[in-house]
Amino acid sequence: MRPFKYTRVDTIPPALKLAGANTNAKFLAGGTNILDLMKEDVAQPDELIDISALKLTQIRLLTDGANKGGVSLGALAKNAATANHELIRMQYPMLTQAILAGASAQIRNMATNGGNLMQRTRCPYFYEVAMPCNKRVPGSGCGAMEGTNRMHAIFGWSEKCIAVYPSDMAVALAAMDAMVLVQNTEGRQRSIPFTDFHRLPGATPEKDNNLLPGELIAAIELPPNNFASHSYYLKVRDRASYAFALVSVGAGIELKDNIIAGVRIAMGGVAHKPWRALKAEQMLAGKQPTEDNFKAAAESEMATAKPLAGNKFKVELGKRAIVRALNMAMDTNLGNGY
Amino acid sequence: MANGNHLHPIQASFLKHDGFQCGFCTSGQICSAVALLTEAKNGELSYVTEDIRRRPAALLLSEYEIRERMSGNICRCGAYPNIVAAIREVQSGTSVEQTWNFAG
Repeated sequence: MRPFKYTRVDTIPPALKLAGANTNAKFLAGGTNILDLMKEDVAQPDELIDISALKLTQIRLLTDGANKGGVSLGALAKNAATANHELIRMQYPMLTQAILAGASAQIRNMATNGGNLMQRTRCPYFYEVAMPCNKRVPGSGCGAMEGTNRMHAIFGWSEKCIAVYPSDMAVALAAMDAMVLVQNTEGRQRSIPFTDFHRLPGATPEKDNNLLPGELIAAIELPPNNFASHSYYLKVRDRASYAFALVSVGAGIELKDNIIAGVRIAMGGVAHKPWRALKAEQMLAGKQPTEDNFKAAAESEMATAKPLAGNKFKVELGKRAIVRALNMAMDTNLGNGY
Repeated sequence: MANGNHLHPIQASFLKHDGFQCGFCTSGQICSAVALLTEAKNGELSYVTEDIRRRPAALLLSEYEIRERMSGNICRCGAYPNIVAAIREVQSGTSVEQTWNFAG
């Protein structure tokens, strides 16, 4: 076991100070990913800064600022509390469904919103320290490329890394153009558009996201939107529950006189970050919400997919999942039970 | 969970429905089942809940809902049908008969 220093902080300034002073320190909140990574010897921080007591748990309406009329999610609010919060289930039901689609009840009760964004891929070659993995050890190679890659990416991958980003919540946040508010050691704040938060692997797969060293996620802001009454999060997986997505789709439609005034489609299980299906969105804008239009949009999006030897099925699955998610979004009262 | 010799309703139901074999997962199943009761009472949602935008109110859970809400607890012995029946009886407040048919 590797020794590490543990400090519990009660306010933000000491958290930032400790993080700023040690690039090998990690924040600890719910611990639902970092502790697993440490037990598997994938993560080797020499210091854990326990931020679980920080007062960043509020979920509230935004009455001013760029996202006025929207909602702020405290970074330390639990996933379960966020999903069940009245503001979220009524105004952002896709986010509620996406959070509930992930993990298990026990994990959702412990996991925090900020931590959800920081979770790392579950690629088995990343997790197995005996295997080559450019994300874990830059330059060591990619075990998945010529290995088992059934669960891996079909969009945006590079020769260095074909891993997928596993968070369901993040897919909904990407669909909703959320903003991530972060603070650094000097107390400086900046907001990162959600679709710029996570990275594609490129030549630097060891970097999952665009946070700078020492930055702390304080909140996630959701702008107001008009598709709460027609949205759905579809998760397709090998098991009925408690499994990662093969493919998932968050879809939100804004209707005006039965024309699609606006549409958001984001996909999980297909790339190193949540994948906004921009081609499909562009095709559907201004069109009628018909099955044929949904199919055409899905085809245009999946046409750019680059499947691997083990995941060719994801292309057809992705097409059908987009169509199904859009259909479910149109049928507002249809739940997930059948 | 028990009050002296008075078993919690979930414990009693697990006995009635034989909700365990080796017992390894049983303490976790019972803890999660008790939490499930509170969550349902508070109208908390699951991925399979229909109409998530309605106001929170106590929920009567289908077998499908119970399975989803208990999905974090795994049983290597496969006692799931009995576990679900045990929970359903307490959650619904009515007696649950297990039925089965021959396949095919």
